[in-house]
Amino acid sequence: MHRRTFVRGMCYGGLATFALPVARFAQVPGDGRMVFVLLRGGFDGLSALVPVGDPDYASVRDRMAYGRDDLTMIGDDFGLAPGLSSWKSLWDDDELVALHAMAIPFRTRSHFAGQAILETGLARPDGSSDGWLNRLLQIMDGERSGIAVAAGMPRSLSGTHPVTTWSPAELGVVDDSYVERLTMLYRSDPELHDPFEAALQMKDIAPDMGNGGMGGRRARPGRITPIMQAAAKFLREPGGPNVAALEFSGWDTHANQGLAGGQLDRLLGQLSEGVLALRREMQDDWANTTVVIMTEFGRTARPNGTQGTDHGTAGAGFIIGPNVAKSAVISDWPGLSERSLYESRDLKPTLDTRSVLKGVVAGVFDLTAGQADRVFPGSADARGLWDLMR
Amino acid sequence: MDLKIRALNRFGLGARIGERDSDADPRAWLRRQVERGSQTIHGPELEVVAKTLIDLREAQRSQDRSRLMQVNRAINDIQRGEVAAMLTQRVTTDAPFVERLVGFWSNHLCVSAMAKRQVSALAGHYERTVIRPHVLGRFSDMVMASAKHPAMLYYLDNLQSVGPGSQAGTQTARRGRARGLNENYARELMELHTLGVDGGYTQEDVEQLARILTGWTVAGVGPGTRTGEQIGFTFRPVTHEPGTKTLLGRQYRRAGVREGEQAIRDLCAHPATAAFVAEKLVQHFVADVPPMGAVARIARVFQETEGDLREVSMALIDLDEAWSPEHRKFRTPQDWLVAVFRAVHGRQAPQQMAQFLRQLRHTPWAPSAPKGYGDTKREWADPDSLMNRAELARTLAGQMAGRGDLDPRRLLDVVDIADGDPLRTLLADRSIPVPERMALAVGGPAFQWR
Repeated sequence: MHRRTFVRGMCYGGLATFALPVARFAQVPGDGRMVFVLLRGGFDGLSALVPVGDPDYASVRDRMAYGRDDLTMIGDDFGLAPGLSSWKSLWDDDELVALHAMAIPFRTRSHFAGQAILETGLARPDGSSDGWLNRLLQIMDGERSGIAVAAGMPRSLSGTHPVTTWSPAELGVVDDSYVERLTMLYRSDPELHDPFEAALQMKDIAPDMGNGGMGGRRARPGRITPIMQAAAKFLREPGGPNVAALEFSGWDTHANQGLAGGQLDRLLGQLSEGVLALRREMQDDWANTTVVIMTEFGRTARPNGTQGTDHGTAGAGFIIGPNVAKSAVISDWPGLSERSLYESRDLKPTLDTRSVLKGVVAGVFDLTAGQADRVFPGSADARGLWDLMR
Repeated sequence: MDLKIRALNRFGLGARIGERDSDADPRAWLRRQVERGSQTIHGPELEVVAKTLIDLREAQRSQDRSRLMQVNRAINDIQRGEVAAMLTQRVTTDAPFVERLVGFWSNHLCVSAMAKRQVSALAGHYERTVIRPHVLGRFSDMVMASAKHPAMLYYLDNLQSVGPGSQAGTQTARRGRARGLNENYARELMELHTLGVDGGYTQEDVEQLARILTGWTVAGVGPGTRTGEQIGFTFRPVTHEPGTKTLLGRQYRRAGVREGEQAIRDLCAHPATAAFVAEKLVQHFVADVPPMGAVARIARVFQETEGDLREVSMALIDLDEAWSPEHRKFRTPQDWLVAVFRAVHGRQAPQQMAQFLRQLRHTPWAPSAPKGYGDTKREWADPDSLMNRAELARTLAGQMAGRGDLDPRRLLDVVDIADGDPLRTLLADRSIPVPERMALAVGGPAFQWR
C-alpha cells in the first residue's frame, strides 16, 4: 500500500463523530506533544523517589530501605533509585519534575477502581465516562488527535473524540486488493468502521520494528524502549498525534520487591532507559514534548511479610521534558512517622493528581485555567499547579 | 431472526459449517449440554507438575544454568501440553456452551502465568481440576477449590503470608527476620472473586481476612516445607494468626483452617456476590452494558439456589435478552480464533494456535492483572487489534484453503448477516482467489461478533 498522510479525522470509539465531516479550524494550535505513561499495578514511589532524608524512612522501610550512598540525590532529601540514576542528566538539564505524596482524589486500594479514577480524571468512579485524555482532545482547539501505543485502547484515551491504537505486531502479509475489499465490508458495520479505517492509516506510517512478515516476528512486548521509540515515530509524523497514551505493567510488587538490581529496580531501569530513548528519537521535537508518568496508587510504607509491599495510597510520579519550569521535587512531604501515615500504613496524600495534570495540560497545550478545569470535571477543589510548566 | 445461529455463536463457541441445518430446538440443545455436565480433560497429575516446581527451586538455589534450562523446558512442555489440550477441547467439543462456561469461570477466578513461573506449570491443572468440575456445581465449592489450589496460592501470594502473632511470626521476629502478612489474595478474593469492588468491605476487612487465611499454603514447596512432603494444599498452624477475627461484622473464633473455609462460604453467600457475579455473566452472554432486568433475574436465581451454577446456567438460557437481535457481543481473540477453526470442523487446535493467541494478546491463562481478560468491545475492538485479525485471517485462510475443496460461500453458514450484505457477493466472486475469499469471511466484520 502506498503511504498516506496522517489524517486527524480518524474516528473511533463513539458514534457522535461518525459520518461527520472532519472539522477544520483556521487556527493551528501549538506544537505541544504529551506522552502519558501509566504504570499499571501501583508502583512503589517510596522505592523510586526515595525520601532518604526523612528521619523515619530507614526504620519504616526496615530491610527494604536504601542508604543514601545507593541513590542519585536530587536535592537534599530525595534520591532516585539506582534504576533511575540515568535521569540525573534530565535533572541537570532542568527537564525533570519529581512528584511525591501524590494520589488520585478517591481513596481506594483497588487496582481497577484506582486506574479508573486516574484514567477518567473524575473524583469518583463512573462506569461509562470518557477518559481524560479524550476529554482533553475534545476541549483543545484546532486539529488534534491521540494514539495509544499499547495493547488495546486504554480507558484514559477512549471516548467520543477520534483516536487510534498501534502496537508492534504484524501477523501476516496482506495485499491491497484484500485490504480494499475488507474496507468495503467494514464500511457496512457502524461500530467497527471507524476503528478499521484508523488501523489502515496507522499501517502506513508504522515504524519498522524489524518484523519478519509471516508468522509475525515482532518486537518483544512488554519491553519499554521499543514502545517509547515507536511513540516517538508517531509523534514526529507531520500532523501526528498530540497525545500518546502508553502503559506498562509489572509494578504490583507484593513479594521480593528487592533493592538495587532487584525486581522493581530492574523495571525502573527499563523505564528510565525508555524515556531517554524517546528523548533521543524525538530529536528537535523533544523541545515541545512532555512525558507524564503516573500510577494508580502508592504502596504501603512498611514492607509486608514477604519482602514486598501491599496496596497503599499516595506515591510518586514524574513530569519530564524541556517545558517544565525547572527541575524540582514537588511535594508537601507528610512524613513517615507512625502518626503521619494515612490509616497508620500508607504515605499520606498531600497532592492531587488532577492538580498536576491540569498544570501540565495547560502548559503543554496553551489551555486557559478554565479549559484545564473542564478536562477534569468536578476538580475545582484541586487547584491546578499553573506554574509547573514554562 | 435466526435463533440457531444465536445459540451456536452467542452461547456456543462458533457455528460449524452445516450445523445450522440441524432440526434441534436451540434452547433444548443448550439445556441438554447442561444436563450432560462438564467433560473431563486428562493431563499431568499434580505430583508431576509439582516435581518441576521442586526442581525449579533447587535449580534456582544452586544457580546451575544447565539445570535451570532443563527445568524451564520441562515447565514449557507441561504448559504447551495443557494449552493444546484446552484449545483442542474448545475447537472440537459438542458441548460448546459448557466449554464457554469453563472459559468464563476460569477467567473470573484467573491465575496468570505472566506473574510467576510456577503458575505457568500449574495453570492447566488449575483449570482442569478447580474450574471444570464445578462450572455446573456450587459456586462456593469452586471458590474453595481455587483458594486451596497451589496455582492460586502462588499467584496471589497467600502461600507466603504469615500471621505476625503466629508461632512462626513471633519466632522470626525475635531473630530479626520478621515474616508477616501478605494481603494480596484476601483483597482480590473479595474484590474480584466474590463481593465486587463496591461490595461493602473495608481495608480492615481485607486485613482481617488476610489473618484468617494465614497458614493456607502449599506443602512440599511453600515456606516451612520439610523434605519428602507430599505436594498440595496444607494448613500450617504454626503460621496461622491466633485469636478472633472480625470480617464484615461477623466474628471468626479460633478454628484453624475452618475459619477460612467459613469465611469463603460466607463471602460466596453474600448478596453482593450474587449481584456481582450476575452482572458479569449477563455481560458475557448478553451485552457489554448488561440489561438490569436480566442481571436481577440471574442474581435472584444465584441467591435462591445458594450459588447452584447449573440452575444459574439454565436461567441464562431463559433470558429473553440473550436472544434479542438488539444486543451483540464482540468476540475476544480466543473466541475469534476458536470460531475460525470450528467453522471448518477443525479436528484439533493447530500447533501455532498458542502463538497466534500470544500475538493477539490473549495468551491462555496469562492476563496482566488478577481481574482477568476484558470481556467487552472496549478492550478488544481497537484499530490495531482489528488489523491484527485481518492479517492473521489472511495467513489462516491460506492454510484453510490448502486443506481441501471448501467453497468459500459455505462460510456464510456461520455468520449472522442480512440478505443484502456485500459479503455474499464477495464470497461468490470467482475472480477473487479462494484463500482471499475465506480471509474476507473470517477477517470481515460479521465474523467478529457473536
